Amino acid sequence: MQNNNPLSPHLQIYKWHISSLLSITHRIVGVVNFFAFITICFWTITLLFGENSYQPIEIFLHSAFGKFFAITLCWTFSFHIVNEVRHLFWDAGFGFELKAANISGILALTGSFILTILLYIIGKNFF
Amino acid sequence: MMYNIFHLRREFIKMAQFSLPQNSKIEVGNYYKDKTNSKNLKKVNVYRWDPSNGKNPRIDTFEVDMDNCGPKVLDVLFKIKNEIDPSITFRRSCAHGVCGSCAMNIDGVNGLACIKSHEDIKGDLNVYPLPHLKVVKDLIGDLTTLYKQYESIQPWLKVDQTGQEKIELKQSQKDREKLDGYYECILCACCSTSCPSYWWNGDKYLGPAVLLQAYRWINDSRDGDKKERLKKVADELKLYRCHTIMNCTNSCPKGLNPAKAIGSIKKMLATS
Repeated sequence: MQNNNPLSPHLQIYKWHISSLLSITHRIVGVVNFFAFITICFWTITLLFGENSYQPIEIFLHSAFGKFFAITLCWTFSFHIVNEVRHLFWDAGFGFELKAANISGILALTGSFILTILLYIIGKNFF
Repeated sequence: MMYNIFHLRREFIKMAQFSLPQNSKIEVGNYYKDKTNSKNLKKVNVYRWDPSNGKNPRIDTFEVDMDNCGPKVLDVLFKIKNEIDPSITFRRSCAHGVCGSCAMNIDGVNGLACIKSHEDIKGDLNVYPLPHLKVVKDLIGDLTTLYKQYESIQPWLKVDQTGQEKIELKQSQKDREKLDGYYECILCACCSTSCPSYWWNGDKYLGPAVLLQAYRWINDSRDGDKKERLKKVADELKLYRCHTIMNCTNSCPKGLNPAKAIGSIKKMLATS
């Protein structure tokens, strides 16, 4: 028999915690990275076709939006890597206590920003 | 192949169902003004749905005199039922955080109304039924699926004894301690209904409450069916839909840790 009673509200009313917020961010960032990797592969391929095909992307990346784009990707990579370390600890059976999970969450978030800055500085100065 | 494509499409649409269906959209309900002339009022917004009139659910707002009210959210609800609107419906039994009947969503987090203090909540008090369940009436959600899932993990001791031996099944103190933090679960469903994975896949994913119970039996030194239990639960949908969102541990009114229990099952499966 089909139950036509209403569904109680869920996403609409549930309060966000650090853990749930980082969890959904992890997933979104993962999807972004998936497309970013594909784009970077195509970009690498353009190297083979010589300067003319490489130039537009080079110009794009030096524009203000291009820089924003590059920094965003630096952050999505950083966040996914750092938060994945957190998941590795969970898989090994550590860090499930509420306090530990909250602290590791904050650490992962700050760590991702620090790593972003590092990545950007290294990328800018050494390559 | 065609079937698969349609099936996938349907799954995707189902997956993307983040908003409430049309018949579940919440409307503004009645406003009950205070009649006691109290100086210490609290606005209490309560989810109401009456199965008898075919209307959509609504939020009723009650002005409650807090000077003459007990300390817990359940006391507020009883005050409304006794003094303002006797038709308000909710489950309760022990009123001491032991039975798990009065589990509901209070101020955006699941918990037991009988042990949640309303003084902890600043501003208006919002009370909803447990999330993503079919509503039976007002604050009562339908937990039939969860109980079926609980039955599916066979929550009883399985031993080779026939019952004729008249031998006690002994357990060392150390083995008994392994059940601490798991046997206390009262199956109030606060954790399961707080879990987004359970919201989207509640028909297949077992959810934190049932998985914590599963671990409690897997971890029992007297149980003779550990391997079979592990095998049964090792399933992409039943177990691995847990993505460590930790809403379960955040909401458990008994302070237990379902996320850790699920993590322990995963680890057992990975290392056995």
